[in-house]
Amino acid sequence: MDAKQILSEVKTISAIELNLVVKTYLGSSEPAVKGISLSVDSGSIVTLLGPSGCGKTTTLRLIAGFERADSGEIKLAGKVVSDMSTWVPPERRGIGMVFQDYALFPHLNVRDNIGFGCKSHQRAERIREILALVDLTGLENRYPHELSGGQQQRVALGRALAPHPVVVLLDEPFSNLDADLRAQMRLEVKQIITAAGATAVLVTHDQRDALSISDQIVVMRDGRVEQIGSPRDVYQHPESRFVAMFVGDSNIIPGIIGPDTKSIETTLGLVPCNHTHDLPPGQPVYLSIRPESIELTSEGSVEGVVESLSYTGQSVDVKIRVDQGVNPALILLAHLHPEEKVQRGDKLHFRIMPDFVAVIREH
Amino acid sequence: MPRTVSAYWLKLWRGNPPGIFLALLSLVVGCAMFIPVLYVFVRGLQGGTASWMRLMDTRIPILLQRSLGLALVVTVLGVVIGVAAAWLVVRTDLPGKRAWQWLLALPMVIPPYIGAITYIIIFGPRGWLHNLPGAHLFSIYSFGGVALVLTTFTYPYVYLICSASLKRMSRSYEEAAQAAGFSRGAVALRVVLPMLRPAIGAGALLIALYVLSDFGAISILRYNTFTTAIYYQMGSFDHKAASILSVILVLISLTLIWLETKTRQGQKFYVTKGGLARGAEIPLGICKWPSFIFIFMLFAVSVLLPLGVLGYWSYTGIVRGALDQRFFGFALNSLSTAGIASILSMTFALPVVYLKLRHPSIVSYSLDKMAYAGYALPGVVVALGLVFVFSNYLPFLYGSMAMLIISYVVRFLPQNMQAVEASLNLVSPRIEEAGRSLGLPPWQTLFKITLPVVAPGILAGGAFVFVSALKELPATLLLRPPGLDTLAVRVWIEAGEGFYHAAAPAALIIILISILPLKWMLSKY
Repeated sequence: MDAKQILSEVKTISAIELNLVVKTYLGSSEPAVKGISLSVDSGSIVTLLGPSGCGKTTTLRLIAGFERADSGEIKLAGKVVSDMSTWVPPERRGIGMVFQDYALFPHLNVRDNIGFGCKSHQRAERIREILALVDLTGLENRYPHELSGGQQQRVALGRALAPHPVVVLLDEPFSNLDADLRAQMRLEVKQIITAAGATAVLVTHDQRDALSISDQIVVMRDGRVEQIGSPRDVYQHPESRFVAMFVGDSNIIPGIIGPDTKSIETTLGLVPCNHTHDLPPGQPVYLSIRPESIELTSEGSVEGVVESLSYTGQSVDVKIRVDQGVNPALILLAHLHPEEKVQRGDKLHFRIMPDFVAVIREH
Repeated sequence: MPRTVSAYWLKLWRGNPPGIFLALLSLVVGCAMFIPVLYVFVRGLQGGTASWMRLMDTRIPILLQRSLGLALVVTVLGVVIGVAAAWLVVRTDLPGKRAWQWLLALPMVIPPYIGAITYIIIFGPRGWLHNLPGAHLFSIYSFGGVALVLTTFTYPYVYLICSASLKRMSRSYEEAAQAAGFSRGAVALRVVLPMLRPAIGAGALLIALYVLSDFGAISILRYNTFTTAIYYQMGSFDHKAASILSVILVLISLTLIWLETKTRQGQKFYVTKGGLARGAEIPLGICKWPSFIFIFMLFAVSVLLPLGVLGYWSYTGIVRGALDQRFFGFALNSLSTAGIASILSMTFALPVVYLKLRHPSIVSYSLDKMAYAGYALPGVVVALGLVFVFSNYLPFLYGSMAMLIISYVVRFLPQNMQAVEASLNLVSPRIEEAGRSLGLPPWQTLFKITLPVVAPGILAGGAFVFVSALKELPATLLLRPPGLDTLAVRVWIEAGEGFYHAAAPAALIIILISILPLKWMLSKY
């Protein structure tokens, strides 16, 4: 299916194309990357999201050329940079890289770090442009150790963008920042990359990074692509239990496609669903119900008892026990509006809204 | 997968091959460092059963007994003194402990052969003390004398490693033991001492290795061990016997090095961190002043006395005109040979270390280990190997200054490599990848990024090599071209003749220059 996706996009030249790329590290029996195919449109921001060990950083390093693929093909701006007969070293791939620890050159100041990869004839001008872009004008004579974490990050980004790379690769760019700065830098990095008109591939294990910054999210697991889609797509309509549980929280319950194919028969009754993969009625499936899609209302057809709750400020996260005669009783997670005043043991009536409900592939 | 040469090459380097120039340079350096010692070994094994049997029956038992006996006694004494000094200076309320901490490390800069000379001046047959009643009971030219001198100038190995370890050790362990009802003495013996065991082991093996390899002090004190025996066999051109004795000495040294790496592996287990590093000092009570006197005496015999003697004889010498034209010629010889050796080692250390850390493989690992051969083994053995190699394959360089300089590089390059490795370890490989991603090919990355960042380490290593080459004695004596005397050689010759006024100024200069890199050396432990 991924291969088909690539074929359909072959007309527009992608910034990056991976075709069935496999990489096994020496001394390990299992490949770190197991035949990944994906394409990245020019000017978009794509995030590789997944738990540690899923192969996302390896994929990034394969694109950069710091690792060699065992098989498969990698193209940058339509040119093959790696396949069975071609190998282009990192310095000739025209990539920009932002490292997890920033890897700023400790012996160079901000200006020389940013200008490091620039051609000499337009170097001064380009440095000025970049300094303005990453908002570091006035700090050009500082050395890396004299900068704050956020400033170092901006130097790293500016240094990567300065030579007009085909693509900027960012490896866990926010993992060294504390929570407040992290939220702020997500916005800034997105703004800078967009303003520079660059294509970016970013690696993270944090779903909030991925959801807030990306045009496309590639969810990875065990060296394979699990799902590709826009942040909204991935969150609203996860295609597998793994995606549903890794990107946000979800309730997974079994069911059967209803006769109208727009609802699912479950122990909670008929649950409306707009995302059923056009499966035929009567097909047994699993359903992902996001905690946001549970709405308290006195007309709600489902009844349950509050088992436990925690107030987070933005919502009240409630675990509701629904006794339907099945054993064990079903426990549903719901995110309620913080205004709702509920207590442990309260009896609640609720219904399930269709927008955050999706049929998932179950392995 | 195609089974081509390039596929094997990639596999050999675990998918991360170095540039061909870097690989070749490291290969040449690694082999050049290793071949002399290998040659000695081959020659020794080819020595023939008859020669081996003859030596086994005559010289070897006595030499084994003397070398190992000396190593054992000096190591035990050095450990006792070093541990006691470290504990007193780090843990207790000893008066002046801050100053003692570095004063007690000073004997490191006095080469044992110079220390031996000062002891001969004091205790020798015509020495300052020879008129004292009972002086004839102790002869400096004896096992006891050699052991005394070597202990005095090698205890800092144990002292430095143990005091560094004591400083890192969390006080929580001792407090836990005290809370469990142990007395202070019991805590020191049953908690602190066992935790110091890896540090003591590492220091002890350094002392033992040094004693086995020492030539200068032992020859000046007219004792006879493997090193002096090899030296005199070479002097009488009996290279076969010299090789056989060398093989045995090398085997003993390798056994000790193997033991040392074993203890270091165990040390990881003992590393203590966290907890309160600075707790209350242990009050010495009535032992306070006796302890102070012990530390002061240690400092006196290992630093004050030697420097005092050298100062006195230097003054006498200078008054008598020791600083003449010839003297400056010797100094120039020393500075130029040590200087060139230092520059060469700064050039060759980075490629080998870089290959090991950035392109790990069986090849780079072996080359790194091979490069340590000349450093780990005694100087006389290295000199013997170089005599073989140069007389057989490079006769036009035999007996030249180049051969002497090469011997310094072979002996001391690893000091430079250690310093480079320490600083390259602190440099994230991501920085080099950043250079690659910004368009620099590997060799430019090495020059424009790695080199400036590790430059301080390279220079520090260069300083170590310079000082070591300045002090070097056995290889210089055996390999120098006729007429090219260095300061170290002059000290040894003049002192051997009893011309102390001529030896002292050169010895003092060697010590003063040695002090320069001490700051780096102390931070190493």
